[in-house]
Order: sequence, then structure tokens, then C-alpha cells
Amino acid sequence: MPAQVRLFFISLLQVIVLTTGMIALVFVAIKPDPNHYFAGSRLQLELLKNTPSPRIILVGGSNVSFGLDAELMQRALGVPVINDGLHAGLGLAPLRELEEYLRPGDVVIISLEYNMFSYESIMQGDRAFLSDWIEYSPRRVRYLSDPWSEASAIYATMLQRKVNREVNRYLLGGSLDEMRSIFLGTKYDANGDFVGHLQEASTTPRKIPSVPYFASTFQEDIFTFLEHFNQRAQEKGVEVYFEPPASRKRNCKITGEALMAKFFETFEERSSIPVLTPFDGVCLPDKYFFDTPYHLNAEGRQLRTQRLIENWLRRNASSK
Amino acid sequence: MLFNSAAFLIFFPLVTTAYFLLPHRFRWLLLLAASCYFYMAFIPKYILILIVTITVDYFAGLGLEKFEGRTKRWVLIASILTNIGMLAFFKYFNFANENLAALANFIGWNYPIQNLSIILPIGLSFHTFQSLSYTIEVYRGHQKAERHFGYLALYVLYYPQLVAGPIERPQNVLHQLHAEHHFDYPRVTDGLKWMAWGMFKKVVVADRMVRFVTPVYGDPTSYDGPALVLATLAFAIQIYCDFSGYSDIALGSAQVMGVRLMKNFDHPYFARSISEFWRRWHISLSTWFRDYVYIPLGGNRVSKPRWAFNLFITFLISGLWHGANWTYIIWGALHGFYFVLSTLTEPFWQRLSALMRLDKLPRLKAALAMLITFSLVTFAWIFFRAVSLGDALYIARHLVSGWPSYLAQSWKMLVEGAQEASGLGLYSVVNTIFKIIEPVTDESRAVLALTALALIILLVIEILQYRGNLLEQLNQKPVFLRRVVYASLLAAILILGTSYASVQQAFIYFQF
Repeated sequence: MPAQVRLFFISLLQVIVLTTGMIALVFVAIKPDPNHYFAGSRLQLELLKNTPSPRIILVGGSNVSFGLDAELMQRALGVPVINDGLHAGLGLAPLRELEEYLRPGDVVIISLEYNMFSYESIMQGDRAFLSDWIEYSPRRVRYLSDPWSEASAIYATMLQRKVNREVNRYLLGGSLDEMRSIFLGTKYDANGDFVGHLQEASTTPRKIPSVPYFASTFQEDIFTFLEHFNQRAQEKGVEVYFEPPASRKRNCKITGEALMAKFFETFEERSSIPVLTPFDGVCLPDKYFFDTPYHLNAEGRQLRTQRLIENWLRRNASSK
Repeated sequence: MLFNSAAFLIFFPLVTTAYFLLPHRFRWLLLLAASCYFYMAFIPKYILILIVTITVDYFAGLGLEKFEGRTKRWVLIASILTNIGMLAFFKYFNFANENLAALANFIGWNYPIQNLSIILPIGLSFHTFQSLSYTIEVYRGHQKAERHFGYLALYVLYYPQLVAGPIERPQNVLHQLHAEHHFDYPRVTDGLKWMAWGMFKKVVVADRMVRFVTPVYGDPTSYDGPALVLATLAFAIQIYCDFSGYSDIALGSAQVMGVRLMKNFDHPYFARSISEFWRRWHISLSTWFRDYVYIPLGGNRVSKPRWAFNLFITFLISGLWHGANWTYIIWGALHGFYFVLSTLTEPFWQRLSALMRLDKLPRLKAALAMLITFSLVTFAWIFFRAVSLGDALYIARHLVSGWPSYLAQSWKMLVEGAQEASGLGLYSVVNTIFKIIEPVTDESRAVLALTALALIILLVIEILQYRGNLLEQLNQKPVFLRRVVYASLLAAILILGTSYASVQQAFIYFQF
């Protein structure tokens, strides 16, 4: 090898080693934040690992974490119930994670936000949210839709978000809690339910965007994914159900009754997963929502959970 | 393919390694194939446009050398018409059609022609101009016609400058493409350093500025003066770092393989006049217009009114070159107006400067001149960035609105901050600064602080470069220190670059 080329590779190696050292230092020095909303996913993961089967697992975006009461279901049904809902921005990654922890006798109730059925990008998840989620369990990188091509971007985003978080913490006087408002990682109960909003939500009215829930077309990929998920779950002796997300009356109206009905028809046509709550019982009065068209307040959460319990019992009774 | 993509991170080392491993006689083929692949990563079928242009110009070049007199002129005209025809069809057809339809509608005529649903080929204006410069230079006898079709194709398609320039001249590049380049450590490493610096400007500074620009320019009527000013200043920085960052990566990547492209930016925001600005901004385009439009129109060797006309027309065409929209035309016209007015009023400014005794304070005079030039250029950017003429006019009219209440509020915070600062020190000062900035933007404190840090790094490096050859100075420092500097630059790109972005930001000039 010519001397100049050798010198080049030695210099390059030195620069790469130094850069890697600097980056590694940032990764090691800035630890995951226990107060971040996604910190709750650590507890949910522990529950998935350690709760004995048979059990009911509720999974989906924040409409599940905010809007279903696993503890109430557990009391009513007499089986362990885990709330594994977190954020729609994670796309389908939490379902891929859940699949690994399923055991015979388990029941999975999936409640995915509507827009995931219309937009592939939402189904894939947002890079920023995914990087935050993976920070709490690095092996989660395998649950990305294409880990090999996405991992580098996810880790780069994680690095940037870690630095941003630390700078923000310093500039806000040592705590990010004020910025995060009620969305704190410490506000989860023993079943994995998010409970941070139960007190404040009803007293703090917020403007909820009046936007349609989904576009008029549905993408095929999500149904393919759900079918595969259901098939693999059944092979493990697991039952899978679909529960429509928390739906606000005004947003249902803006979406259009016909289109809302079309969603249910399309779901039943393209998926073999049974739907628990039928279309006519889905849209709830606006007063039960507090900051987004998917986030129920304490009363709404109780109402939706009771309806789900009733529908579940009715379904079980009819199947027997 | 974007320079700031993971694909380029694989493409560049692969192509470069193969380039140095291959015998010289095959290198053109490698570079041509790599350039085609680079271009086809956007919209593959548009390579056909380039093939047509290159073929026409190849034979035009041969014809221009063979023929004389009127035939030679007709060959040149045919080449120009083909190139401009492509540009006109893809870039200006819909614009012209919409304006004709509006005019017809205004006078009550029925206008039947529909717009075409075509996507503008990436970098069309750049490679069209580069191709044109080849036939014009052959016509003028400054360049021999290229007999090897592959090398001419490589001249037009050469991937470092294919989609956003610099717009090269054949005299500078063709002989370099023919020459054999060996691996040269200082040249290769300097090229890589330029690439890293260009990447810093793009992904750390320019893409960060997007966060301050896009929300405001997307909906200007929701904002008042302070936010509009901040967004416009941010755009001035964004477009400079975006475009000069691209040029640095282009120059650096070509330099690694032994080709030295022309400098495209020379610290334009340090210019002390509009004419100096245009000698420092997008140099390859401004010299193109100078050589092929302004001088053929008569340049400055004509009467004053004719000179002003020549200049104004040149800027108007330059505006239109940037995009098929009235906003770009007005941007060009505004610069033409600045240029003519500043040249005509130069004696007045000199007298005023003498009266104010500014000549005795050259630094202050220079700083004032820079500030005025920067302000004029930044004002013109409003028209360049705005989505529509209506938006641009709204922004221009409302730049001064909302300031009294904002300043009063800021003053109140400053007073409160000063009272707190006596007890709490530095944190309180920082807190007050943020409280003053926060009403103008929705960004978090971390984003604001890291943006400030990126801008400070940019400014320091720009000043050091302006004062002398920074790379040369750096190369004289101890090895370990240099390694730390380069590693820090790479780490800064990774840590500060496009935070939170889910989508890679394309370079602004790709659209032209």
C-alpha cells in the first residue's frame, strides 16, 4: 500500500475513533429520563414479562393508555389485565414487541388510532417517538419495520434528543416537569394504565382540534400486518380482538357517519379479527375528552371501559 | 441522491475507492456510470433529457468547429434552442400558460389550453446552463470541441455539480476530467474537510433554520413584525448555508478525485455593496449571466440608460432562472434596482461618508456598509421565499408591525430580569434572554440555545476563513489538535444536525 494511502487510513481511523468516543460519551452520560411519558413503557414491559397467563393485554396508542382502565377490567373479569398502550406515534412497533411476550391463553385487545389505517407513514411510526421508546429498552430496535435501514437514523435521532433534553433541563432550571405538564412517566398505575390526567383533565379545559379521524381511503398494509399478527397469535394459543379507539362525537361528525361506518365495514371485510364494540356505540359525547380527539378524561375512561367489559362479557356468553 | 443521505455515505467512498483502483482509461466510464446512478436516484426517466441535450451539444460542438460563418451561427442557434427549449417546456410552460389564461380571462376570452402535469427535472437549470456554456465557448473559440462523447457526457453529468452547480465552464473542467489524478494525501484530506464543513452548514445550520422559517412563511398572516423579521433573517441564513453547504460538498468531493471546481461562494454576507454581494454569491451563475447575457447586451460600454437596462434585464432573467413564479422575477428585479441605484448614487454616498467623517473610521464604515447590504439582500429574500406574491407583500408590509408592544414587553422582562439577576446570577440572565425570545417562536429553549451555538460556530469559522486560508492555518497545528477539531466537527454534525427531523431536507437549489 502506498505511504500516502496508509497515512490517510491511519488519520481517518484516528478521527473515527475520536468521534465515536465523543458520541459514546454522550450516550453513556445522558441516561434515560425516568419522568418522560415513555418511561412508563418500562413498567409495561415488566408486566408483559412477569404477569402470569392467562391474561388480557390492551395494546394501541395513547387512546388505550389514557382511555382504558385495566385495573377496573381486572376487578370485573377476575383475570390479570395489562395496559400496554402508549403512543400512536410508535406505529406498529409495540405490537411487534408484544408478540414476543404472548403465551397460550392470553387475550389481546388491539385498539389502533384511526389514522394508522389511512397513512402508511403513521403505521411505520415517527422517528423521534421511536427513538425515545427504544431508549428505554435498546433491544426494541428489532421491532422497527426495517431495523437494518432504520437503526442508524433512530440512534442519530436518539443522540440529538438526549442532548436537546439535557440542554432543555438545564435551561429550565433543572426540571422538565413544567414543560411536560401531566405527561409524566411516573404517573402509571400497577396495571400499566396512565393516570396522570385523571385529576387535572376535567378541571383544565383544552381546545381539541376538530379534524376528521381518517382519510377516505384505507391502506392495505395494516390489514396484512394485523392478519399476520392474528395468525401468529393463534398459533401460540392467543385470542385477538379489535376495539375501536376512543372516538369523539364532533370528530366523528366531521369525519362523516358514512365514512365512519365504512371503516367498520372495511375492517370486517379485510380482517378476521373480531370487533368488540360495534359502530353504533363508538362515538362518545365531547365532554368525555380533554385534549385530543383520542384522550378521554376520568369519566370517559370509566364509561368506555365499562362498555368494553359489557361487550366482552356479552361476546363470551354468546360464544359459550 | 442527496448529499445528506445515508445512500451518499455509501456511494461516495465506494465510487472514490473504485476511482483510485481503476486504471486511468476506465475512470471516465466509472464516473459517468456513477453520475447517471446519482441522477437517476431522483426520477430515472429524466436522464433522457440529459441524453438528448448532451447528444445535441456533442454534434453541435463538432459542427461549430467544422463550419464557419452563417452555418456556424445556425449550429449555435440550434444548440441554444434545444437547451432553452427543454428548459422552457419543463420549467416555464405552466407558468406562461397560467398567465396567458389569467390574461384571457381578464379580457373575457375563452382560453382552452390546460396545464401539463409534469414534475420539474432536478437541477434542470444547472445542467442546461452548463451544457450551453460548452457550445458557446466552442463557438467563441475558447474551447476545442470534445471528440470523446463520454467525456462530454461526464462534463455535463459529473455528479458533484450535476444538480446544483457550480455551473462550470468547459475550459476549467474538461481538461481536468481527461487528466490522470493520483492519490494525493493533502488534496484528498482537504477535500474531505470541505465536505464535512459543507455538511455542517447544511444539516446543522440550514436545516435548523427551517424550523424558524417554515411555520411563519407557511402562514404569514398569523404573525406580526418580530416573528416575520426573525423568520426572514433565519431564511437569509438558511439559504446561504444550504446552498454554500451544497457547493462545499460538491467542491470537496470533486477535489478528492483531483478535479478543482470553481468557487461558488465567497462570504457574501460580508459584502459592502450589492455589486460586491454578486461577486461573492453564486459566483458561477453571476459570471455566467455576465459572460453570456450582460456583456453580449453591451455591458457597461454603452450609454448610462442602456447600461441600466442591460443590468436590469440580466437580473430579471436571473430571477426567472430561479423559478417560474412572479416572486422570483420580483426578487431579480429588486436586485437589479438595488444594483443600478447604488451605482448611480455612489458619488452621493461617498460625499455623505466624508461629511460624517466615516472615512476616518474605516471599520465602522465597513460595518455600516455590510449591515446595509445585508439588510437589502435579506429584504429581497422575502420575495424569494414567500409562497405567493400576496404573502410576500403582506410580509414586507408587516415587518414593522407589532414592535411597540413586543419591545415594551421585552423591556419589562429585562427590568424584572435585572432585579432577579442580582440574586440569581447567570441563570437569571439566560432565563431573561429566553423570555424575550420566546414570544417570537414556538421552539424550545434547547433548540434556541443549540441554534445559537451553531450560529456562533458558523460565524467564527466564516470570519476566520474571510481573514485568511483557514485550512492552511489549521494544517500547521499539532496533529492531535487537528484530529480533535475534525472529530468535533463530525460529532457536532451528528449531535446538532436536523434534530427531531423525520424527513431529510432536500437542498433548496435542487428545485431550480
